[in-house]
Amino acid sequence: MMAGPMLLSIQDLKVSFRMGQGRRADAVKGVSFDVPANTTVALVGESGSGKSVTAMSMLNLLPDNAERSGRVLWQGKDLLQASMPELQALRGKDIACVFQDPMTSLNPVFTVGAQVVEPLMKHMKLGRKEAWARAEALLAEVGIPEPKRRLGSYPHEMSGGQQQRVMIAMALACEPRLLIADEPTTALDVTIQRQIIELLARLQDKHHMSVLFISHDLGLVGEIARHVVVMRHGVVREQGPVAQLFEAPKDDYTRALLACRPSLEGNPARLMVIDDHLEAQRVAAAGGAKVMRAEASVKSGDAPVVLQVRSLAKSFWLKQGLFGKREFKAVQNVNFELKRGHTLGVVGESGSGKTTMGLTLLRLHEPTGGEVIFDGQNLLELSDRERQLMRRRIQIVFQNPYASLNPRFTIGQTLVEPMTIHHIGKDLAEREQRARTLLEKVGLDGRAFGKYPHEFSGGQRQRVAIARCLTLNPEVLVLDEAVSALDVSVQAQVLNLLKDLQDELGLAYVFISHDLAVVRFISDEVLVMKDGVVVEQASAAQILAAPREEYTKRLLAAIPRGYRPAV
Amino acid sequence: MPGPPDDAAQRSEGVWHAAWRRYKSDRVGMVSLVIVIAFLLLIAAAALGLVAKDWQKEVGVPNAPPTFMGPAAAQAVGAIEAPKGPNVDLSDIDPLAPRYKEWDERAKQYQTTETAKAETLPLGADRLGRDVLAKAVKGTEISVFVGVVAAVVATLIGTGLGAFGGFFGGKIGDFLEWLYNVFESIPGILLIFAFAAVFGRGIWTVVLILGLTGWTGMYRQVRAEFIKHAGREYVRSAEAIGASRLSRMFRHILPNVSHVVLVRMSLLVVGFIKAEVILSYLGLGVPVDQVSWGTMLAEAQSELILGHWWQLAAATLFMAAFVTAFSLMADAARDALDPKLRGAE
Amino acid sequence: MLAYVVRRLWQMVPTLAGVILLVFVLFKFFGGDPAEILGGLNATQEQVDAIRQQLGLDRPWYEQFWIFVKQIVSFDWGKSWATNESVANLFATRLPATLTVMVPILLLDVLLALPIAMWVAYRRGSLTDRSIMVITTIALSISFLVYVIIGQYVFAFQLGWFPVQGWSDSVWHNLVTYAPLPVLLAVMVGLAPQTRLYRSFLLDELGQDYVRTARAKGMTEQTVLFRHVLRNASIPILTNIGLALPSIFVGSFLIEVFFSIPGLGREVLLAVNRSDYPVIQAVTVYLAMLTMLINLIVDLLYKVVDPRVVLK
Repeated sequence: MMAGPMLLSIQDLKVSFRMGQGRRADAVKGVSFDVPANTTVALVGESGSGKSVTAMSMLNLLPDNAERSGRVLWQGKDLLQASMPELQALRGKDIACVFQDPMTSLNPVFTVGAQVVEPLMKHMKLGRKEAWARAEALLAEVGIPEPKRRLGSYPHEMSGGQQQRVMIAMALACEPRLLIADEPTTALDVTIQRQIIELLARLQDKHHMSVLFISHDLGLVGEIARHVVVMRHGVVREQGPVAQLFEAPKDDYTRALLACRPSLEGNPARLMVIDDHLEAQRVAAAGGAKVMRAEASVKSGDAPVVLQVRSLAKSFWLKQGLFGKREFKAVQNVNFELKRGHTLGVVGESGSGKTTMGLTLLRLHEPTGGEVIFDGQNLLELSDRERQLMRRRIQIVFQNPYASLNPRFTIGQTLVEPMTIHHIGKDLAEREQRARTLLEKVGLDGRAFGKYPHEFSGGQRQRVAIARCLTLNPEVLVLDEAVSALDVSVQAQVLNLLKDLQDELGLAYVFISHDLAVVRFISDEVLVMKDGVVVEQASAAQILAAPREEYTKRLLAAIPRGYRPAV
Repeated sequence: MPGPPDDAAQRSEGVWHAAWRRYKSDRVGMVSLVIVIAFLLLIAAAALGLVAKDWQKEVGVPNAPPTFMGPAAAQAVGAIEAPKGPNVDLSDIDPLAPRYKEWDERAKQYQTTETAKAETLPLGADRLGRDVLAKAVKGTEISVFVGVVAAVVATLIGTGLGAFGGFFGGKIGDFLEWLYNVFESIPGILLIFAFAAVFGRGIWTVVLILGLTGWTGMYRQVRAEFIKHAGREYVRSAEAIGASRLSRMFRHILPNVSHVVLVRMSLLVVGFIKAEVILSYLGLGVPVDQVSWGTMLAEAQSELILGHWWQLAAATLFMAAFVTAFSLMADAARDALDPKLRGAE
Repeated sequence: MLAYVVRRLWQMVPTLAGVILLVFVLFKFFGGDPAEILGGLNATQEQVDAIRQQLGLDRPWYEQFWIFVKQIVSFDWGKSWATNESVANLFATRLPATLTVMVPILLLDVLLALPIAMWVAYRRGSLTDRSIMVITTIALSISFLVYVIIGQYVFAFQLGWFPVQGWSDSVWHNLVTYAPLPVLLAVMVGLAPQTRLYRSFLLDELGQDYVRTARAKGMTEQTVLFRHVLRNASIPILTNIGLALPSIFVGSFLIEVFFSIPGLGREVLLAVNRSDYPVIQAVTVYLAMLTMLINLIVDLLYKVVDPRVVLK
């Protein structure tokens, strides 16, 4: 039950796309919910759930091949039947939007001021001088320092966080009744994300407007929304007040979604996965025994050291002036020891140098200084032939599952290639057999062997990437944001797989990520990096319980906690 | 963005199969493909000598009109009056007079085969009486051959250089960029003229000229693609597992770039055909004893003033038909190969 | 900015050296023996040798190369082998004619193609859009020669609206009487590819995120197209014009041949037919220099058009 007059009422909205050659794709299959005045409503779902399409369809901001049906009532008037001039009068004035990627959503050739002024002059009929004065006030309100100077800046001259503030200023310009925010913080670093959502909460309160907040992050949503709508595969699974959803969710999917987030409390051995969870619910409902979640066992400290890194440094040289060069220190003075069967987590935001550091370990970037000792040999001093042999022992899994497999190779070809290069197995038949075994070990069907990457989802492709590394029997695996691009439930699956493989094969991991919760789940030791230097380094438990450095504390504080009832 | 569900029943197909399946459902593309194949068969037949072999023979009366128009009316002879009266007998001053009788008798011993010249031909005749249809077919063979082979040459050069320049960067990349700049600074036609001035005429010469001057566009595109792909994670992964540089370039990246190369090459074919036509028109292309659409157009210009339009029409129609069909086919192929429509990347 | 210009001028030197080298090698090692060409078919061996000595062709190749470089730098090309006219004079007299025809063509092409492309982009996907695409495809498959042949025949010969050929000494008279027909034909032919190109630029921009933002702010489609999209599309359009500029100096040699216009393009063609090497070499090298300068100016203009550009 929602109190207050309904600002927006969506009734049985259906959206499908014409795909050419008579095919259709149904993105939204009958969605209904309401947005009351002066309230934040969150629309949550994983990718493909149809949440963005739902929001964009209200103002008809979809591509040309979209077809909508149903009713979208804005203060009683059906927007789906509205004419284009009527919609254009509403857009930017009564209903405004903030999009996910501010860099591409802002026009690169116009100044920030010109873009903020545009809706002011059109909808509010302000004169030139008044509009620019108001724009300056808006920039100040969203927290941009030196607003007068910034009016003349171009989008590319600002950071991601500032660009998003500009988008918010643009959206607020005409005092809208409803602000649609489509994943506004997904592209931003965690500390910036916190600033932006706090800003949105303040503005919502001050201007008494409603916010429709779209996100895939339940934790984030729990902090700021009053009502939550959960979507999956184009339908609404559950909706209700935030407290009820978090404390007593009715739908299985919602429960599963809540359960499979790695949290900062507790230390489970494995994460709950949606299917497991749904299965467990069924078993419980049928009267079966409740499955206890096992606690992670503490790893033994006297495992042998596989990798030793000392004073690792990497610099890039940039051209400057007429003939000069400037040094950019991407990584400075990194030291650690990695033991067999253990995981070192490397945390940092964008620009911290964590990815560069990971690539340097494999010599995919040539380091400018330091040592990487592997089994007594310094990796950085090896000849080409010796380096080829070393390749077998340390491998890497990248972030983007859609780019890490060659689209023209079958899965089988991808897996057999490393074995062929390193002469593992005596002939093709043996290699293929080994490849199929590995596919099953990572949880895929052996029949995937003859298929192409585009037939698989992101999580499955990451499994293939892991299998490819395993063909060489490595001892160390560098995981560069390997689960960051995956949905929460898929992420849980892959993390569980990694833990299983570690237990079984004794692999050592260097796990690079920006997500502290995930790092905490999988790591034994944690390295916190900022601007190329190691800010803090300690065991995982200690970093979370008693962080010493200011930056680490800020990182921890920025992580969305989910809904917390007022005490 | 999630991929399709793991349906085990889904047939596994590579990029080319998927593209072909998509291409087949494009009606315009299929019609164009049929037309292009028909032309290619015609060209093969001409090359093998099965058709239009005797295009040089003067089988018709000069400027014979096309069959559907009927033979040209006999020309009025002119204002000169036929002389009246018998011929004057010049035997007394004609030094050859005594021999005429002898020659007449000798001549009767020889058989002269004189084929009657046709009054009309299917598409008419040019000013020498040669069959325009045969010329058009033979011209198709020459013009298309030059266009395609030159495109292949330019593609090989541009792709090879672009691959090395894009992948390696550094000194090699700088040198290749310098080479590219040198060729690019000279406006295209001028470069062709300079080469033509030096190399002269001839079919293979034209192929060489066009190929050596036309590689720059392909180089630019392939280089950009290689730079883009070299930073992609699947290539980095290949490096991580120990694949050699050549392997990364040609086993990994090239197959992912091949559809771009193909589309670009089809543009080159069209461009080079048009360039060859212009070169032959100017007398810088195929040699005198060959026919191409360009030489036909050169002749057509003077014929048009006299009202003989059929050689112009024939050359234009054949060229327009082939180039349009080829362009539409290339457009359809590009749409079929476009990853954005494929939804896979 | 100054540092950038200096750096660019400095970078031009190796490229120019390459062009000079290319032209020299091409003509020296692949071209015929100039002495024999100049001597003509009936020259005796002594005459050929005399010519060779006169031209300095009996000296070692690196000396010849040095002479070549000196000639370029001092803008002295000697004389055309065919007409004995000084090559510098050739440039001076032929260039105006070429420009009188080519500049109007370039201007009209851009000024006409852009509105048509915008109208087609506005109505994208409609029947108008698709039919224009088909028409342009067919129009592009017909050789330029055909258009000019038929055009000249119909408009000048038959209808008599324009003179068939000719040129005069006064620029104004040329612009009004002799240039219109060639300009008209060239623009007609150039419009098809230009429109398609601009259409693709506009459609690319229409697919960008900032267009969605502009719509979300309540802007009409016209505003989106004319203010937001056009401004961004001007970047590739500028590139395109920059690439087309160097070509206008050689002109459309075809037009000049058809209409007997005494321009640079026709001159080069004549030189090719007569193996008049000095003319061809000079035009090639100077146009290469001009192209590099135009590229520099266009790159500087980018800074005005695209604020993201950082001139390093």
